[in-house]
Amino acid sequence: MKGMKFSFLCKKKPQPTGKRVAIVGAGPAGLTAAGYLVCKGHNVDIYDKMPEPGGLMLFVIPEFRIPVERVRLGAKELEEEFEVTYYPRTKVMEGERLDEGDEFYERVVGLDELRENYDAVLIATGIWNVRRIGIPGDDLEGILSPLELLFWIKGHELGYVPGEKVPDLKGKKVGIIGAGLTAVDTAFECSRLGADVEIFYRRTIREAPAGAYEINILRNRGVKWFELVTPKRVIGENGRVKAIELLRTRLGKPDETGRRRPIPIEGSEFQVPVDYLVFAIGMVSTPPVNGEYLATDNRGRIVVDGRHMTSVEGIFAAGDVVNGPTKVGRAIKDGLYAAVSIDEWLRGEL
Amino acid sequence: MERKYLYLDYLTCIGCETCETVCDFIHGGNPHIRIYVTENKQYLPINCKHCDDAPCLRVCPTNAIYRDEDGAVRIAENRCIGCLACLQVCPYGVPFYSLKVKAITKCDMCAERREEGLEPACAEMCPAEAIQYGPLEMVLELVNERRAKNIPEHRREITKEELRKSVSSGYVLL
Ligand SMILES: Cc1cc2nc3c(=O)[nH]c(=O)nc-3n(C[C@H](O)[C@H](O)[C@H](O)COP(=O)(O)OP(=O)(O)OC[C@H]3O[C@@H](n4cnc5c(N)ncnc54)[C@H](O)[C@@H]3O)c2cc1C
Ligand code: SF4
Ligand code: SF4
Repeated sequence: MKGMKFSFLCKKKPQPTGKRVAIVGAGPAGLTAAGYLVCKGHNVDIYDKMPEPGGLMLFVIPEFRIPVERVRLGAKELEEEFEVTYYPRTKVMEGERLDEGDEFYERVVGLDELRENYDAVLIATGIWNVRRIGIPGDDLEGILSPLELLFWIKGHELGYVPGEKVPDLKGKKVGIIGAGLTAVDTAFECSRLGADVEIFYRRTIREAPAGAYEINILRNRGVKWFELVTPKRVIGENGRVKAIELLRTRLGKPDETGRRRPIPIEGSEFQVPVDYLVFAIGMVSTPPVNGEYLATDNRGRIVVDGRHMTSVEGIFAAGDVVNGPTKVGRAIKDGLYAAVSIDEWLRGEL
Repeated sequence: MERKYLYLDYLTCIGCETCETVCDFIHGGNPHIRIYVTENKQYLPINCKHCDDAPCLRVCPTNAIYRDEDGAVRIAENRCIGCLACLQVCPYGVPFYSLKVKAITKCDMCAERREEGLEPACAEMCPAEAIQYGPLEMVLELVNERRAKNIPEHRREITKEELRKSVSSGYVLL
């Protein structure tokens, strides 16, 4: 197998320009930007809080979709052929905030420190926080964050997480709320570990972001699909999840996303017993700042201008941290165009 | 030179849009591989299959369509009269008339890149390894190797002959 060729635009390292760029986040956006910049002769260092580069492609998305080796070899090629230096297990941050996957980092570097030490900085830190649902009982034991669960499973396969950390799901009833890519992948992994999985979604399969094609594959695997229901509260016993109380919904007029809005039907409550619950209802951007250092919008996404530059001169941003949850291809596109801007800016043409 | 194949395996494609993105990037915003989404949200990137017995090549009245030394089906823009006969016969609706170029444009298996010793960008960047590029036997081997890693629900039993036909003639396996 060959690796992803992030430096697909050139064959070998050109004459060095002497400019140094720091990239924060080694997901598809960061790695592709690195590939473009090294092809333009810039020197690139990449900081990431995880033990190795790859981002969600490596630590979350199941192996049957994206082979680990494909990502690993790609990252290695940047290091070996283009002298990219990785700084793994290094969280970059101005201010403080707890994010998913934080148990893996060993040191913290300030974003401002990078700005001072490099000619340009690119932020590509993605969406590493999970949206909370805010219903009674949502903090009971047995409620798992989808990212955390997927990190444990994949991290264990990669040799970073001890087996005891992965919950023993064999024969257990796992309820998953949501119908996006995260919900679907969580369902795949739990079903693979022998759990009895049920997905609860407030709209119908037609509106599900992950699509009927993927969901039907799961159903053929034995995963139960329960549509037009919304969680009302989690019922516990001795501090642990015992069941979920749901309300039936009906679909009303289309909302701002163009999909019909689910309206809970009063008095339709019913309960489903579960051993574990996963709320996969959305993820939130995690810029390497908490506070005023650079501008973010009301959903925590980094604000950039047409040049992909943030409110701080010389700091650029790309990928899911700017756009919210998208896909690998969109992150790659954003990384590429941000890199084009960085190169022009470094050459004084922008 | 040995005939090369550019094969996209729909069973391992995850619909991430990377292929269209990089193709778009190197072709100034006009990608030659385009993702179509079905009603049930299956993502299908469609590109030229560079068919062994290419109907477009056979039908072109001015012989503007030819096969280059790597096996890519190419357009000689200066000979194209824009009659769209190729579009009529292509099973995938690949040939595209460009008002800018005033000729048919389509995937040329990254001809410029191949001249520089690089490979087609979509195959180099697809994270799922769903696009393979190379001589027939190598492509067949890589596709089988990749498919073996898939989960049973994404797998379909296919005969060697079926796969060979798919790689060489563009006949799509879903
Ligand atoms: C469960 C799941 C399944 C998905 N399945 C698919 C799919 O099938 N197809 C598809 O196209 N897309 C899928 N996606 C979406 C896709 O993974 C993302 O859109 C893409 O990875 C975003 O790329 P990125 O480079 O912006 O960020 P990421 O891939 O998230 O990379 C961000 C990197 O930044 C690092 N980082 C974060 N904060 C810091 C910090 N403060 N300091 C240092 N490093 C930091 C992280 O460790 C990570 O390596 C899926 C997403 C999820 C969650
Ligand atoms: S890059 Fe690969 S996985 Fe992604 S859409 Fe294209 S063929 Fe499918
Ligand atoms: S896919 Fe269409 S355009 Fe490509 S070679 Fe076959 S017939 Fe011609």
